[in-house]
Amino acid sequence: MAVIEVTDLRKSYAGLKVLDGVSFSVEEGEIFGVLGPNGAGKTTAVECVEGLRRPDSGTVRVLGLDPVRDARRMREQIGVQLQQTQLPENLKVWEALDLYASFYADPRDWRALLEEWGLAEKRNARFGKLSGGQKQRLFIALALVGKPRVAFLDELTTGLDPQARRATWELIKQVRASGVTVVLVSHFMDEVEELCDRVAVLDRGRIVALDTPSGLLEGEHRMRFTLKAGEAPDLTGLPGVTGVSRTGERVVVTGHGDFATAVTAHLARHQVLVSDLRIDKRTLDDAFAALTGRPFDDN
Amino acid sequence: MLKLTFVETKLLARDPGAVFSLLIPLFILVVFGSSIEPGDRVLLPMALAIAVGLVGLYMVPTTLATYRERGILRRMSATPVRPGRLLVVQLLLQLVLAVTACGLLLAVAGTVLGAHLPDQALSVVLTFLLGTASMFAVGLLIAALAPNGRAANGIGVLLYFPMAYLAGLMQPADQMPDMVALVGEYTPMGAFGQCLRDVWAGGAPDPLLLAVMAAYALVVSAVAARFFRWE
Repeated sequence: MAVIEVTDLRKSYAGLKVLDGVSFSVEEGEIFGVLGPNGAGKTTAVECVEGLRRPDSGTVRVLGLDPVRDARRMREQIGVQLQQTQLPENLKVWEALDLYASFYADPRDWRALLEEWGLAEKRNARFGKLSGGQKQRLFIALALVGKPRVAFLDELTTGLDPQARRATWELIKQVRASGVTVVLVSHFMDEVEELCDRVAVLDRGRIVALDTPSGLLEGEHRMRFTLKAGEAPDLTGLPGVTGVSRTGERVVVTGHGDFATAVTAHLARHQVLVSDLRIDKRTLDDAFAALTGRPFDDN
Repeated sequence: MLKLTFVETKLLARDPGAVFSLLIPLFILVVFGSSIEPGDRVLLPMALAIAVGLVGLYMVPTTLATYRERGILRRMSATPVRPGRLLVVQLLLQLVLAVTACGLLLAVAGTVLGAHLPDQALSVVLTFLLGTASMFAVGLLIAALAPNGRAANGIGVLLYFPMAYLAGLMQPADQMPDMVALVGEYTPMGAFGQCLRDVWAGGAPDPLLLAVMAAYALVVSAVAARFFRWE
């Protein structure tokens, strides 16, 4: 069952098309990624779904509800972690959870959330005194305190160190395991690859791909090596190989599937010695570049 | 709503700015109060205007603009509770703060310093409510226009001094140039101060000045509402 259905969303600011016909649906129980470089329209798209912004045109249904018309009923059932929000400096961790729990008709027991998110020791700490990771965990806990069926998490690991990011990823997997559908906005390829069941790749207000991470990663891989001894045999006819190029002693072979095994076996058969052998797996960066014709970080 | 009020009250009590706006007028009262005659009718109305001005021009805009800047209002709009509730709760609490500050001044001036306390309670309450409303309206306008909390704070403080001067709080109005004194009387703080002085002198507040304060409260807060941004 689709919990979110978005059809032909359009939004412009001062003549600039931020969303240019975005459609997607999110299935119950999945972690759905919205990936794209900064300024691609990810946050705007998700904020239209959350009811924080009104699209110029297009329809949004969340759990069958219209985010603008049925705002109150919808907000009872969603949890949100926004980019760049803070709490009052002097608000204590337990007070924040207690307060936000009071906003919902049927909230979770916030004391259990404190334990789950490793904030029990910090329950009396003021927001201003928390570390980046602790703040982030508190925001996720606040997003879950209303017992949401869908949780929206926007750039949740930005500014965290690698260890804290890993830890946060594990927690997000637990959220999904508890039956909550998660919409994850991110500009980190590794995060999306690690967590998401499906990913919508946004570029300049349009969805350029919508697939599983492994689906996006299908395609050509690259193998590189340097010839050491022996004459290079012809590799072009081998199964899976799509291209061979040679610059001096450096050889680059591109291909699909298990082409690398075929290439190494062929080299061995012809008693060719190679060094610096490397196989580059296609990354989501490559996939993005292939889809848009631009590297991911080129904004 | 009850929990929100409770939490916001705790936050206000933890805000050094709130303590500051209670203590500054009290400090001024006590310092100048040591040299007043018993039954003095000048110092207390001045201290009251200073106290209400501090809450309206310093606390109100700084708190609200900071809430917006930190995305607290925006975060709340993603919950079933409307962020407008937070503004209402804040304004009520700031009103309580202003009442507390004035109560403290009246208590200290009336007992320890032996200053004059007026007996027309209705005039005092009416003047206080209209004066506070007009000052809060200016505070709301600052909150609506300031890009962030620090700017709101700065604008509030910058506006405070000329307004206090025009209101005759820094120099008696009869020592100011006539034109300036006349204009000053029709500023929000000036009208408030003049009405307080009238009441303390034993008369009734000038209905024109009461109307001026009511007009400021309505017009300025309407403009503030028009320009207020939630994010």
